[in-house]
Amino acid sequence: MPPGPASGLAPSVGLPLRFVATGFAAWLVGVVLLVVRPDMLATYHYNQYVVAATHLWVLGFLSSVVMGAMYQLVPVALEVRLHSERLAKWQFVFHLAGWVGMVAMFWRWDLKQVGHFGSAFAVGVGLFVYNLGRTLRRVPRWNVVAAGVASALAWLSLTVVVGLIVVTGKCTYDSVERLTTANPLRGMLAALAALATWVNQFDPLGVMHAHAHLGVVGFFVMMIVAVSYKLLPMFLLSEVQSERRAAWSVRLLNAGLAGVFLALAWRRTWQPVAALVLIAGLGLYFAEVRAILRARRRRVIDWGLRHHLTAQGLLGLVAVLGLVLGWPGLRVTMFTAQLETVYGWLGIAGVVSFTVLGFLYKIVPFLVWYHSYSRAVGRARVPTLADLYSERLQVAGYWSYLAGLLAAAAGAAAGYARWRGRGR
Amino acid sequence: MSDEFVEVDARGLEPPQPMVRILEALTVLPTGAILRARTDRRPLHLYPLIEERGWVAESQPEADGSFVTFIRHA
Repeated sequence: MPPGPASGLAPSVGLPLRFVATGFAAWLVGVVLLVVRPDMLATYHYNQYVVAATHLWVLGFLSSVVMGAMYQLVPVALEVRLHSERLAKWQFVFHLAGWVGMVAMFWRWDLKQVGHFGSAFAVGVGLFVYNLGRTLRRVPRWNVVAAGVASALAWLSLTVVVGLIVVTGKCTYDSVERLTTANPLRGMLAALAALATWVNQFDPLGVMHAHAHLGVVGFFVMMIVAVSYKLLPMFLLSEVQSERRAAWSVRLLNAGLAGVFLALAWRRTWQPVAALVLIAGLGLYFAEVRAILRARRRRVIDWGLRHHLTAQGLLGLVAVLGLVLGWPGLRVTMFTAQLETVYGWLGIAGVVSFTVLGFLYKIVPFLVWYHSYSRAVGRARVPTLADLYSERLQVAGYWSYLAGLLAAAAGAAAGYARWRGRGR
Repeated sequence: MSDEFVEVDARGLEPPQPMVRILEALTVLPTGAILRARTDRRPLHLYPLIEERGWVAESQPEADGSFVTFIRHA
C-alpha cells in the first residue's frame, strides 16, 4: 500500500460497545433461562421453547456481539473507513426490536408476529450487510480476510431470507379472500401464500436444519475463520504462513456449506460428501492456525486465546459428530435424536460462544481503555490493560464454562425419558 | 524542516503499549524534531490521538511487514 496521510478509520467505541452490552444482557437472560428450564436441552429440539431460546442466544447474544465487533474490526483489519456510522446506529434499532420481538413471539409460538419482527430484524441485517459491503468495496488490497468476511455476509443474508421463508410457510393467509382486488395488501398476501405452498413441499425439519447451518457455519464460523487470519497474527506477533492455504480453507468452507445446505433442504444422500468438503476446509484452517502458532514471537498464550483454541478443538469434535449424524441410513433412535441437540449445543454454546468470549477478552478491555484513558496518555498516569481485568476471574470463567458446557452436553445426550424413568 | 529524528521502536509490544510509548515520546520531543516510530501494525488507533494533539503522521510499510510512522508538528 502506498504511504498516505494518517486518519482515524475505526468508528467511535460507543458503537461496538452498545452491541456488545446488548449481547451480554441477552446472554445473561439465556443462561438464567437454561437454569430455570434445563429440560429444554433434554427434549428433541423442534419445539417452541428451544427455538425461542436458540434465537435468544444466537441473535440476542452472538449476533449482537459479532456485529458490534465487526463494525470495529473490519475497518481496522482491512485498513478502510466504515462506510456509515449512522447506518450502523439505525441497524442497532432494527436489530434490537427485531430479535427481542422474535424471541418473545417464538416463545408464544405466534408465527405471524415472528414474521413481522423477523422482517424488522431483516431490515437491520440488510443495513449491516450493505454498510460492510460498501466498506469492503474500498479495501485497497483484497485478501483472505476480506474474502472470508464477504462470504460470511452473503451467508448471513441467505440465512435471514431462508428464515423468513420458513416462517411464511407456517402462517395462514385466509384474509386474502376478504380483501378487495383493489387493496395492494391482497397481492402481497397472495404472493406469500404461494411462497408458503412452495416451501411446505419441503421436509420442515430439513429446511430448519439447513437454515441453522447457514447461520452458524456460514455467518459465525466463516467470520471466526476470516478474522482469525488477522487477529491471531496480531495477538501472537506472527504472520499468516500460507496465503494460498488460507484462501483454500475459505473456498472449501463455502463449497462444503453450499452442498450441506442443498443436501439438508432437499434431503439428499450425498450430504456426507458435502460435509467432507466442509471438514477439509476446516482441516486447512486448523493447519494454518497451527503454523501461525509455531511461528509466533510472543510465547505466552493468554486466557483469551486459550478460549479460542479450546473452541477450535470443540469445532473438530462437532464437525465429526455432524458427519456421523448426517450419514445416510443412520438408524434414528432417541439417542441419535438427542445427539442432534448435543451437536447444536456444542456448536452454538461451545464453538461459537467460546470463541466470541475469547475475542471479547482481547477486544473489550482495549476499547474501554481507549475510550477512557487514551487521551490522557503522556499527560497523566493511566492504568495498563491488565489493570482493567482480573486474570483469576478469566481462569475461573474458562473452567466453569467448559465444565458446564460438557455437563449440559452429557445431560442432553442422556435424554429426558431416561431421566424421568419413562424410557429405557 | 529539521533533519533531527528521534527513534521509538514499539515492535513486539501488545496493544496499547505501542501507542503509549509513542504518545509519551511525543511529550518530550525537541522542537522541530520528527518522531520515527516502528510498529508491527499500521497504528490506526493512534492517528486520531495524534491529530487531536496537533501533530501529523505518515506511515510507510516496511519489507518485513512492520510499519514506520513519521510524526511531526502540523
